[in-house]
This record gives sequence, C-alpha cells and structure tokens, in this order.
Amino acid sequence: MRLRYIARKCGWALLTLLFVLSANFFLFRIMPGDPIGLLARSTRLSPEALQQQIHLFGLDQPLPAQYLTYLKQTLSGNLGVSIISGSEVSETLAGRVWPTVLLVGLGTLIAAVIGVIAGIKGGWTRDSGFDRGSLYSSLLLYATPEGWLGMLLLIVFAGTLGWFPAGGYASNSGSGAASFGDVARHLFLPVLTLALGYVGSFVIVMRSSMIDVKEEDYITTARAKGLNDATIRRHHAVPNAFLPSFTLIVLSVGFILGGAIVVETVFSWPGLGLLTYQAINDQDYPVLQAVFLISSGAVILANLVADIAYGYLDPRVEGV
Amino acid sequence: MSSSHAQRFVGRYTRRLVATAGVMAMLAGAGMAGMSSAAADSASPSPAAAPTVLRIGMTTSVDNPNMFAVNSAAEWGSAVIQYDMALKFGPDLTASPGLATSCDPSDDNRTWTCHLRDGLKWSDGQPITSKDVVFSYNFVRDKQFDYFNSYFPEGTTFTAPDDKTFVWHLTKPGIGPMRPAWCYIVPEHIWGKYANATQDQIKAVKLFPNVASGPFVMTEANPGQNWTYSRNPNFWGTRPTYDQVVFQLYTNQEAMVQALKNGEIDIADGFDGPLLPALSAIPNVAVQKVESDFWVSLAFNFGGQGPNAHPLPALKDLNVRKAIEMAIDKQGIVDKVYPGAAVPGDTIIRPLSTFWHLNVPADKAITYDPAAANALLDQSGYTKGGDGIRVDPKTGQPLHITLPTSDDVNGSSDVGQLVRGYLKQIGISVDVKPTTAAKMYDLQQSGEFDAYIWYWSGDPDPNYQLSVFTSSACDGDGHLSDGCWKDPAYDAIFSKQETEFDQAKRQQDVFDAQQYVYDQIPDIALVYPNYIEAYRTDKVAGLIATPAKVGYLTTSYDYASMVSAHPAEQPPTTESSSSGGIPVWVWPLAIAAIGVGVFLSMRRSGKGSDEFERD
Repeated sequence: MRLRYIARKCGWALLTLLFVLSANFFLFRIMPGDPIGLLARSTRLSPEALQQQIHLFGLDQPLPAQYLTYLKQTLSGNLGVSIISGSEVSETLAGRVWPTVLLVGLGTLIAAVIGVIAGIKGGWTRDSGFDRGSLYSSLLLYATPEGWLGMLLLIVFAGTLGWFPAGGYASNSGSGAASFGDVARHLFLPVLTLALGYVGSFVIVMRSSMIDVKEEDYITTARAKGLNDATIRRHHAVPNAFLPSFTLIVLSVGFILGGAIVVETVFSWPGLGLLTYQAINDQDYPVLQAVFLISSGAVILANLVADIAYGYLDPRVEGV
Repeated sequence: MSSSHAQRFVGRYTRRLVATAGVMAMLAGAGMAGMSSAAADSASPSPAAAPTVLRIGMTTSVDNPNMFAVNSAAEWGSAVIQYDMALKFGPDLTASPGLATSCDPSDDNRTWTCHLRDGLKWSDGQPITSKDVVFSYNFVRDKQFDYFNSYFPEGTTFTAPDDKTFVWHLTKPGIGPMRPAWCYIVPEHIWGKYANATQDQIKAVKLFPNVASGPFVMTEANPGQNWTYSRNPNFWGTRPTYDQVVFQLYTNQEAMVQALKNGEIDIADGFDGPLLPALSAIPNVAVQKVESDFWVSLAFNFGGQGPNAHPLPALKDLNVRKAIEMAIDKQGIVDKVYPGAAVPGDTIIRPLSTFWHLNVPADKAITYDPAAANALLDQSGYTKGGDGIRVDPKTGQPLHITLPTSDDVNGSSDVGQLVRGYLKQIGISVDVKPTTAAKMYDLQQSGEFDAYIWYWSGDPDPNYQLSVFTSSACDGDGHLSDGCWKDPAYDAIFSKQETEFDQAKRQQDVFDAQQYVYDQIPDIALVYPNYIEAYRTDKVAGLIATPAKVGYLTTSYDYASMVSAHPAEQPPTTESSSSGGIPVWVWPLAIAAIGVGVFLSMRRSGKGSDEFERD
C-alpha cells in the first residue's frame, strides 16, 4: 500500500480532530444560561459568591480568551476541573471508560456476530422462513427505541421476576469470581438491550450485500465449476459481501467510547454515556468538552482505520 | 476485491460461530457465578462475619466525597450522616443540641458562649475540642466556602477560651448560633494542614476512611455507583444498629422503584408524585410523603433588572395580581398535576419549616373565586375588548402575559397550561413557553418576561428565603430576586426578624413578613409538592422523620433515622427473596437453547445444503 495514501488519510484525520477541538468549545457555550447561576436557585449562594465562582472558572473572561486557555490546556493534556464536583476531569473520565467499553463493546460484538451470521443466512436463502423471520425481527428491533426496550426488560426481569439487579455496575466491591459474577449480573440486561438494539442494522446490511453478491457472474461461474453451496457461500460470496458490514462494525467500534447514553441512563450504568447526560444537565463545560473530544477522537480513529483497511482489502479505493 | 485478503478478515466464519458461543457461554457462566455467589451470600456466610447493611437508593450522586465540595442532594446527605453541627436542626428544625449542649447570650446579646459535650472524639480517636469548632468556622470563612459561611453575620469572630467552650462575638446584638449555623465541624488535625491551600486544592482532597464525628464515616467510594459509610466506633451518641449504610445511585426513578420492589434496596429516597401509585402498589412498601421543602411559584416581573427588562405594566397593579391569584384554582392544580402528592400553596416559607411557616388566617386568605376576580378587574377599569381580552386603561395594552415555565420543575408546563385556562376566564390571555432552567436563569437575570413559573427551595431557617424578596436582592449580576419587587416596608420587617434574638418574637416577625408578601403578591405560591420516600417494611424498621412525622426519613437534615434504624423482625417475604438471581431451572434451559442454536448453525453451514438451488 502506498504511504502517500496513508499519509493523506492521517492528515485529514488530524484536521478533523482540530476542527472537533474548536467545535467542542463553542458548541457548549451556545447553550443558554451559565452553570454557576443555576446553583443559586436551590442553595444559599449569595450573588457575591456566584461572581466569585464565575471568576474562578474563567467564565467572566471574553470568549476568545476562554478559547485560547482551553486550547492551551487541552493540547498540554490538561482537561481541567469539573465545575460541579471540583474533581479533575481526567480522573472522572478514567473511572468511566472501562464500564462503557465493557457494555458497549460487548453489546456491539454480540450484535455484530449474530447480525452478520443471520444476514448471511437470510440473504443466501432469500424469502425463506428464516429470512422472513430474521428480517421482520430486525426491522422491529431496529425501530424499537432502546430506552423503551430497556425499561421493559428492567420492569420484567429486574422488578417483577427479580432475576437481575435494577441498575448499577456492581453491588459489592471485591475481586475474584464473586465480583465477576456480580458485575455480570448487572451487565446482562443493559448488554441485552444494546445487542437487541444494534443487531437489526447488522442483519439488514449483511443481508442486502449477500443478495447483491448472489446475482454476480462469478457466483454462477463457481456453481458451474461444480463447487458446493457451502463452499461458494463461504469462499466467494461472504468475503465480497462483507465490506459494507465491515465498515459498519469498524464505525460501531468507533462509537463505543461515545457510550450509550440512553441505556446507561436507564440502567444507571456508570459509563461515559451517563456522564455525558449528567454533564449536559449540569452544563459542566470541562466534562462535556472532554467526553466529546474522546468520543469524537475515537470515531475519527475508527474512520482512519477503516480507510486504511479498505485500501488493504480493496486496493482500488487508494485512488479515490 | 481481493478475496484472499478479505478471507483473512472474514473467512473464518465457522470459527466466529464458536466465538459467539464462547461469548454467550461467558455471559451465561458469569451469570451463573453471580447466581452462585448470591446464593452463597444468602445461605452460608457466618452471621458473625456479615455486616448488617442499610441500602439507600438515591437519584443523585456523590460526585465528590469531600464535604467542602458539597452540591447535590446526595452530597448533602453524605455530609449529614458523617458530620455534626455545633447546634443541629431539631425535630422542628430549630436549634437543638449537637456537639454543643447549649449556647448562652451575654446581657447585650453580642456574645454567645457555647458548651461542648464531655468526652467527644473524632472517628480516628483524637479528642474533639472547641478549637476544632473555631477552626471550622474560620476555615470556611477564610476559604470562602459560602454554602457554610453565609450563616455567620458579618464581622463575627470566634474564640475558644478552653477545650469545651467556644464563643461567638457579634458586632451588634443578634441571635448568633441560635439560628443554627449550617456549618459542619471538621477536625483541625486533618484540615489544618490545608490552611494555605486554595479552594480547589481543598476540594480535591480525598480521605479514606474519612475522619468525622457523626454515626458513620465514608470508607469506600465507587464513583457513579455507590458509596459506603461504616459505623464510627467513637460516635458520641447512641450506637447505630447497622454496621454500614450504602448510598446506591439510580439515574432514573423508575429503576429505583424496581430496585425497591425486588429488595435490592431498603429505602428509596426521592420520587416525583406520578410514581406514587406504582410505589403504593408494591407489597411491604411504606411511602413517606415528606412535607414540601420547596414551592412552585408564579412570579411577577416588576422591571428594574436592566435595559432589557420589559414587564407588562398592568402587573404592577396589585388589583391585577390579586385577581390573578383569585382566578387560579390551586386545588385544581394539585388534583390534575400532582394528584395525592402536593398541597395548595400559600406563603413563601415552605411548610416543612413547621416552626416558621405561617398558616394564613382564614379572614386574610385569598381564595379561589373567578367571579370576584372578574368583578375586581371590572372595578379597576380593565374592560374587555372585542376578543374578550381586557385592556389596561392606562396604557391601552391588552392584558397578555408571556409565561415561561422551567423544565427543572416537574409538571411546570402542565401547571402553566392550567393557569392559562384559569386566566382566560377573567379576560387575561397567557402564552405558556416551556423552557430550560438555564434559559430561565437568563430570563430572570435580564427581566425579559411578564411572569414565570419556577420554584424556590430554601433553608430550615427562613432568613435566606425571606432575603430574596428584599430590595437589595435585585442588585447586581447574579441577583436572586425573581421580578425585582422592591418594598421598603418589607425590607424593614425583614431586618427586624434578622436581628431579633427572642425566638418567639422572631417567629412573629417571620409570620409578619410572610403575611406581607402574601398580601402584596410579588409571587404566588401555587403548590407545595411532596417529596416522596419509600422503604421496605419487611426489611427495615425504626426510621424516624426529621422534622418529626412530616419530614425526611433519610439524611436531609439530620442523621437521627440512620441511628435508630434496625432490621425488621419479620422474615423476608417470597417477593423480596426473589432478588437472589435467576432461578436454578432457568439455566439448563438457557444453556440448552444456546447449545442447540450453535449446533444447528454449525451443522447447516457445514453440510453444503442445496439452499442455493432452491432460489
């Protein structure tokens, strides 16, 4: 693969990241109100104390000055301090990354594997009972709001049957098998919700590709050569039909660090999605900026990986 | 596409089936492990080794366990369970003995001398002395922790003549510590080393285990999940029954209902009214409707905030405001928006402050009477135009009110719509504009509104809530006044209560202030929504409310309930025991189903079917 192609893709990724860095700053300041002012309503913060807090966080500075400070700090690796909790943002984020990777990563993995397999089978046996069943199920799941589905599972399996906890990451701290089991019990319902929510798109994309590929001449040629159906599907159809699904999987991996805001909120899962939701409610600018930077960076990186992998999988795209 | 390249990525299709089965098996196995451990937890542990734990569900989190960074409701609860005030909030939220047993005034009421209990110790075994109290007061003042500092009158100094005595020196006669200073006493031997630190540096300090004087101290924090407080062996009061209290975070109230239902938590703290029927339907769950500590207000704008302020001039006419209050059916709002979970509002001091809240005398009450409201407007010259909307005789403007409602008040836009309907009956049109709390703050600061629906929540002591209606509350950026109502007569009443040291006389002054605002109507207290708590009667008993009977069972103002709580005597019901995990019979079925699915998929993909030919 030509280095020029990789360098060009890396350059674009870097430019996009710089754009995101700036957009992050201005986006949240378009929101009305200011975070400190809201504190006064339910607490006994005096106007003087409010002004002091506003000054402390530099919110009384002109926007360009705030922007320069933000750029300087971010580029030097300092993500700032949360306006609401007073904790280091990097410290807050560090504790939220693993729960999100575990939840969204596992949900995406399960959905991708099941979805791709079902898509292959459905597309290859178009209009069969399996195809109809998987297609209609996929469309239904794809159209189902994750929040509603999660709440339904929560009420049935946590509240009514009492099989799983109603939320959180773990009930007890500790290590070993008991801790593993504790986390798994908490993880089950949110992962199930995410996997059900995601699986439809994988099924639909893979099925569609398989149907297209099945009409290609080289499939007919392979059959004419006397290859059996399984061999044709495995060695000729699937590899060629997989490219769109591969894109979807890589992009989904990129979105893992963005968290699953709705599912994490429904199941009180302490990940980046929940942190984002709370930071938006509190207008906690430093936390919001950091979360968006991380999630945007992950998506940009995933795109870069996909671009480079495309060049590897299909050399024709290098010229594009 | 180069299929040989692609095959490296995707050609091992069958292997992925096995991988899928592996992931499923891992999850299933993990679930079984969870089940096994849960079963083991409930069946086999030695009773002597297992700590008794009181689990409290909350919808806000302890983002920073440091008491000086307190902000959310859970963080206040975290401070309450760990720390003491010198004088604390008693059963009626007035001053009662805390670390100090009493405070005595000098003859001129400028000096208050307070006396500590005997034998006080911090959780680390160090003695608690009056120097700790003076240090705490000076620390929050020097470091400008205004949440706590605001309780000390300007110029007040503190001394500690001996280990058991501390003294307030006021610059003018006042009630000093008898308006309980909501300032927690911290150990000087821990926090004294931060004397030169900034506020940020102090907020970043994390102590595990914490050192405090209350019944429990934080020993573990899992951010975004739960926080564990263990019994303080040196607590000066009655020994709590529970070994640990755990605050468990639920980020939505419906999940917390389910957690209470399956026995995951013993107490749930903080529901909105609409969940009341769901809670009441759960067996073995008791609901505590806490008397409201906040009120939903309809505030009028009087202008004066700045150049952008543009209130409707007619709203400065007391008769118009009075007619509006008479036209609003507060009971109707309760019934339609907060059924069973609120009471109609009257004064600006919430009813939870039972000692200070004025029950408006019947002869002075403004009651729902649309006909009288219409008559009052007719008499005041506000005649109806062709469209049925009244017109201001002075300006010729129609009585049209823009009414933003804030999204941080549950049901506020529904209340707005009801108000719109009520005022239509008296010839006033209303344009309800639901908005965010952040936007509402902008409107409040700029004065770009006619009236709005928002809320107020204050202290147990009425001083702060009364202060936001003074003329000075309209001054400067970040001002607190809703609509910049200014009335020197009210300012005088406010000042009088602020300096009155006789509790009974001050109570009367506070009543007078409430009555004055009630009569002048700068704000209308529409409703007092209840705060809902619930607990499992089959798991926990002995909870007591602060304030007495009508108050919080958890740690909003005092830790008394955490000390008195003990496990319920009756055995858990079948329903509560169902929280142990998945029944054993489910697992073989689930694993068999997964196994059959994997087997069929592998068999079909490997057998070289003739599905292609079928197409």
